[in-house]
Formats: sequence, C-alpha cells, structure tokens
Amino acid sequence: MKQMWGRLITCRRLLIGVSLATLHWTSRFSIGRRLPTCATLFVVSLCAQTLDPSKLLKQPTDTWPTYNGDYSGRRFSPLTKINSSNVSSMTLSWVYRLNTGTPSAGGGFGTQIKSTPLEVNGVLYFAVPDHAWAVDARTGRELWHYRWETHGGIHLGNRGFGMYGDWLYFETPDNYLICLNARDGTERWHVEIADVKQEYFSTPAPVVIRNHIIVGVGGDSLDVPGFLESRDPETGKLQWRWNTTPRKGEPGAETWPNADAMAHGGGMTWLPGTYDPELNLYYLGTGNPNPVHAGQGRKGDNLWTCSIVALNPDTGKLAWYFQASPHDTHDWDAVETPVLIDGKIDGQPRKLLAQASRNGYFFVLDRTNGKNVLSTPFIPINWAKGVDAKGQPIPDPDKDPKTDGTLIVPSSDGATNWPAPSFDPDTGLFYVNTVTSYSVFYLTDTDDKPEGYGGRDAGVFSKRALQAIDYQSGKTRWSHQYAGRGGGMSGILTTAGKLLFTGDPTGNLIAYDPATGGILWHARLTAPVSNGPMTYELDGRQYLVVGAGDTLYAFTMLRE
Amino acid sequence: MRYLTGLLLACVPLLAQPPVQPPAPRRPGNSFLISRSVPDPAAVQRGRKTFVAACGFCHGSNANGGEGGPDLIRSVLALDDEGGDQIGPVILKGRPDKGMPGFPMTGEQIKDIAAFLRARQQAAIDRGSYVIQNIVTGDAKRGEAYFNGAGRCSTCHSPTGDLAGVAKKYEPVALQSRFLYPQIRTFPGRGGNAAPRKNPTLVTVTLSSGQKFSGALESLDDFNVALREPSGDYHSFERNAGMKVDVRDPLAAHEELLQKYTDADMHDILAYLVTLK
Repeated sequence: MKQMWGRLITCRRLLIGVSLATLHWTSRFSIGRRLPTCATLFVVSLCAQTLDPSKLLKQPTDTWPTYNGDYSGRRFSPLTKINSSNVSSMTLSWVYRLNTGTPSAGGGFGTQIKSTPLEVNGVLYFAVPDHAWAVDARTGRELWHYRWETHGGIHLGNRGFGMYGDWLYFETPDNYLICLNARDGTERWHVEIADVKQEYFSTPAPVVIRNHIIVGVGGDSLDVPGFLESRDPETGKLQWRWNTTPRKGEPGAETWPNADAMAHGGGMTWLPGTYDPELNLYYLGTGNPNPVHAGQGRKGDNLWTCSIVALNPDTGKLAWYFQASPHDTHDWDAVETPVLIDGKIDGQPRKLLAQASRNGYFFVLDRTNGKNVLSTPFIPINWAKGVDAKGQPIPDPDKDPKTDGTLIVPSSDGATNWPAPSFDPDTGLFYVNTVTSYSVFYLTDTDDKPEGYGGRDAGVFSKRALQAIDYQSGKTRWSHQYAGRGGGMSGILTTAGKLLFTGDPTGNLIAYDPATGGILWHARLTAPVSNGPMTYELDGRQYLVVGAGDTLYAFTMLRE
Repeated sequence: MRYLTGLLLACVPLLAQPPVQPPAPRRPGNSFLISRSVPDPAAVQRGRKTFVAACGFCHGSNANGGEGGPDLIRSVLALDDEGGDQIGPVILKGRPDKGMPGFPMTGEQIKDIAAFLRARQQAAIDRGSYVIQNIVTGDAKRGEAYFNGAGRCSTCHSPTGDLAGVAKKYEPVALQSRFLYPQIRTFPGRGGNAAPRKNPTLVTVTLSSGQKFSGALESLDDFNVALREPSGDYHSFERNAGMKVDVRDPLAAHEELLQKYTDADMHDILAYLVTLK
C-alpha cells in the first residue's frame, strides 16, 4: 500500500486510497465488515463511476462488480423482484448489438460475448477480443468503445473486466493487461504479461483483491509454462508470480521426469478464480499439461497442472492443491469455476469448494485445507479406474491417446467447460450445463520428446443437459436433457426469486424452477447464450442481462 | 486448453478429405492457430537442406534437439526471430561458451534457415494438420463377427449393399469416424462440410385434433418443432401438452453402440470395413 500512498495526489484519490486501505484491514482482521459509511458515500459522491470496494464483499444487488458477481463464484443473486410467480410476464427491456468495426475480432469464431458484464453505478462494462464497451445499464445506450491494436494471438474469447476504484482492467489475445478509465474508456496504461510469439494468448477477466490485479494466461500450441501474476493497480508492475509448474529442485518437481518437461509443461490460468476473504485464500483451477495429448515425455502426475489450488493473494504462495486429473492426456483443463459453498456435511458446518470438472468428475473439497469430501462422475466417463486415497481420479493408461485411437467419454471439449455453473443456497444444488460426448483420441507424435499437442481427437457424438447436483452426495437430483444435438453451452444464474436462468443449445434463454427443473419462461434469441446471465437492480427495477453472440439482451418485468 | 475447437479441428479434415497428407504450405489465415506469416515453401526447402547439413547433427534434423544442441522449435530466441535477425548472429558467431562454433553463412542461407525453423514451429502449432498414423490394427475376422453378431450392424447394413466399396470412398480415419456416428457436422463460420445427411431424422407430429404431419426433422427444442414434408412443404409448431412428437432417429443404434464398444471392437470393425473395397 505504500506505493499507492505515494501516488495519491488529489483529494478524491486520497479518499479512495483510504477506503481501499480500510478494506484491506477489515477483510484481513474483521471479516466482511463494512467500510465506514461516510467514507464510502463520500467516495461515491465524488466520482459517479467509482467502484465502492466494499461492494466486492457483498452479494450482488445494485452492483455486479466481478466476473462472477461476487468472490464466491456461486452466481447466486439475492434479488427477488423477478421471481417464480411473476417471471411469466418478464419482457425485453433493451438490446445492444456490438459492432467492432473490424471483421477479425473473433478470429475464426465470430464475435461472441463471453464476458459477463460488470455493472457498477448503472453502467455495464464488457469486452470481446481487442474491444471493450461501456453501456447504460438502464437503456443499453453506448457510452464508449475502446479498441486495441493487436499484435496477433489467437482471438478465441475474452471474459471481461476486473475493476478497482475508477479503473477497469482487461487482457488481450496478444497478452497485454490494459487499464482503462471507467468514465470515458481512455487508456491509462498497458503492460505486456506474456510473449505472443511463444503462442501465449490471454482470455481471463482479471480478479481484483484489495490492491492486487490477478491475471492469468492461456496458450497450448507450443508447450509454454503457465503462471498466474498479481499486478499493481496503479502501474501494472509485477507484485508476484506463481508458476503452475515447479522449477528444478522445487516441491512438485518429483512429479515430472526432468527440468525440460517442467519448463514446457503448460498449466494455463485462463479463467478467473474465487476468493474467501476470511481465509484470505484465492482459489484457481489450472489447465492441462503439455504436450497436450502425448504424455510419454512427461511421465508422472505433472503438478500443478489440471489442479485446484489455493494461493495467498498477497504473496502468491501455494497453501494447498488437489489434482483433478493427474497426468492428463485429454486436454481436460481443471479451470472450471471453483465455487465456494458454506454448507453442511454430516450435519457439521463446513467451508467447502465444489467444481464440476471438464474430465466429468464433480469434486467437493474442504477449502480450508484442500481435503477431499467427495469425487463423483456426473456423466458416464470411461477413462478412470476410480479414485485414490486423496480422492483424485486414477487415469487408465489404456485410455491414453494411441496411434490407432481410443474411444473416450468425454471428448477433449469435456463433460463441461468454461461456461459458469451456479450454486443456489436455497436448494443446496449445484447447477452445471453438461455434455456427454464421445471422441477418438489419436497419438500423432510418438517421439520420446513430443511437441505441441502431439495428438488430436475426432469428436463423433455429443448430447447436452442441464444438471442439478446435490453437493452433499454428488448425486444428480434432476437433469434436463436438451432436445437435439450439438450447439452452444451457456453459463447459469440462480436467484432468491426461486429462478434459474441459462441458455439451451439452440438459442433459447430459459427460466427454470431450480428445485424441480420445470420450465417457467423462455425467449428465443438470435444466437445461443454465449456468456453467463447476470442481474442487478436499479431504481427498484430488476434487470436480467445475457450475451448471445454479438448482442446483449436486457429483460425486466412489464411496466405497470 | 481450447474450448470447442477439438471437434472443429478434428472433423473438418477427417470427414471431408483423405486425411493422410503431408501438411500443405499454408497462407496466413488458413488456420486460426497460425497468426504469423507463413514462410515461402521454396525457402523452407532450401533452409531444410542447409540446416540438416550444418546444424542437424547437434540440433536434430527436425530441429527438435539432438546431440548436445537444444530444441529450436520451442526456443524463445528462434520464436522471436524475424527473417534471421535473432538467429543470424548466433549462427555467425556461435556460442563458444556452450561449445557451438560459428558458421560462415550468407545472409540468404540464414534467411532460409529462419524460414525452415518457422515452418517447423508452425507444423507443431497447427494441430489441425497433424498426420494420423496407421489405424488399421484390428482383426478383420473378429470385426466381421461383431458386425454380424454382437453389434447387430447387419440389421441395417450389408457389405454387398450399402457398404459395398465403402473402403474405396473413405480413408480409414474418415471411415472410423463415420461408422462410429455417421453424422456430417457443420461448423458455422469455419467453412465446414455442409452436405445434407442422406438419412435425416424423421419426425411425426400429431396435433391434439388428431391431424398428423411427417417429414424430416428441421429443428427441435423444448418449445417448438419444425419439419419438412417429402413434398418440400415446411411446417413449424409450438409444442403443447396435447401434441405428440415422435422422433425416429435412424442413428439411434449408433448412439447405443458408442456405450458398448471396447477399443478392440472399434479397431476390429474398422479392419473389417477396410476390406470392403
């Protein structure tokens, strides 16, 4: 914080500094307590766009300040103005169709809104690769559009923003962290966090914890090592870096055959994690090891790839890990949101973490220490021999990719993927969109030292469902099989209005009863929902906002 | 790491083309994975010869490392290189501290080596161009027995009927994908194979009035169903409690078998099918 004090010049900034410093103190030593009200109000009154940092520690109501709405990753809103008894009258409020002005913004994938917009003081902030927008949350009116001149990189997607005070942070396909002024979208600075020439490309939404801007990277093409970094909010300077693979002699090195394999071992950090302020631990899922499908040059478990890890956000030090896929050879990143649940196991209150992982397992862990509570497949997988004493799956070597092919459930795209799940504390159910898919995995590089993917898979079949999983038993309580085959995958939102919102593969936005899976409302959009639905209340009116392809849709109740 | 690209990468070349081909020279933009310019194939060929002769002993003839010399495909310096600007000084001066002598090469030779290294890097990056090796490893006799026995494939298919000459039409990798699940996928925006299925899913919609409509299923979700009658007429309905929607998917047996195949079954069936020339 010292560095920040030195940079505080104006009175306004000073007050933001005070409030952030206070937050730092309160969240460390008296958990979740609110800031002094006068300071909070004073800051907000001075700049209409400033994010009050105390909002980061609350459930999302008038503000949706992070990718997941709050630190827990539950994507559960306490709002009830739209609820199960009136949702049948929910109607379109506004539409915003983005225009990048360039045909290449989505690469070969088209321009898709994968970011969950932030909503702060009545403004929505969202991004696609190289482009960012602010629109009025009440009307969809565009306030600004920021364009980044790219140096290349794979334009696969962008998950959006993190916010700190007046400042917005997002990452680009060529691995720059960019800081924008929330009021007008002007660039304050940019810093390079990884080298695009080594085939890194960046998609995650930065996560802001006190004065740490936590950023991750992606890129599997050429066996580069993964890492997570914390950057200074004022300057973008590096605060700490945590490597997802060990260096020679470090703990974890025993799970790799040699230093070269570790240095090319992958483990990307391409989705935002979650945070428990009470434990001061940041939870993150890491990506698959490299070379992706050819494991013969990296015998061993390959820590900390395909793992759920807990890090101290002030130091980047590893507190514990749980490996979802030891020695993965199927591209099953374990990056899916580690959702924080304050629940009960055997009648005892527990601090838990749950992940529906790409490899087809639903994991529940004790988030204080990483100890496994349960590991249960949520689709009929065929690649594991069960789980070990730590609850980690034991991969069947006969189901590794082979030159003549192995038939595997699920495909490399996984039993689920990055689209956000949701946990509803009222039902005690964890909701996730799933895929039961079959794919033939071929090993193409049989060299002792393979490179790149070293193999490929040919997807032959998939069918999709929305599943509600009981976190206490791992059993699927209800499942809604989507009609038809293939299509998109959407994120999920639950609310205290006894509603679950998600998209189906064909382009419907649907409201379900989260207790039973019964359908209560739907609307056909121009494309499948391509992000996670989010909600907020302004002027006593609740809005539901989803991205579908290149368009944002806002819904609300019919006006009286 | 990737999201929903596996199918796209795997299926387009597998289903559309004979798959076993050396990677053709690519222009920028041919693959979404290649974002840097693609070197001139003639320069790559010249560079390969020079590289194998001068550098191959230490760095391997494929540049992935050899006797004492490091891998140059994943080398940061070689990746940063543009037209020899980074590797040129190393080639000319060597790295005496690491035992590498200097090589007196011309500027053109250095550029050619740079082109060769870029091509090798891009071959590793472009997973859509990876060559699948021999996959016909099963036992044709066992495959034939499965076809006529446990798999009950012969219920719908015949080696002298619909499958006569099937091995002439498809290379083994495409054949394997197709017998597992013979759906032709389409990939919007990616130039995917849009050929219509020969055997569409059939649907009969019975309205509460008793009126029936039958045809090829065009779309189906929880709320609506649409079909095209053999006449070409298109009908779309809102689904409701009084309506019956009977979907007859001719591929249902393929979906059931996916849950039953062992890898050996899969290889045996393929070994049998490739005999149907």
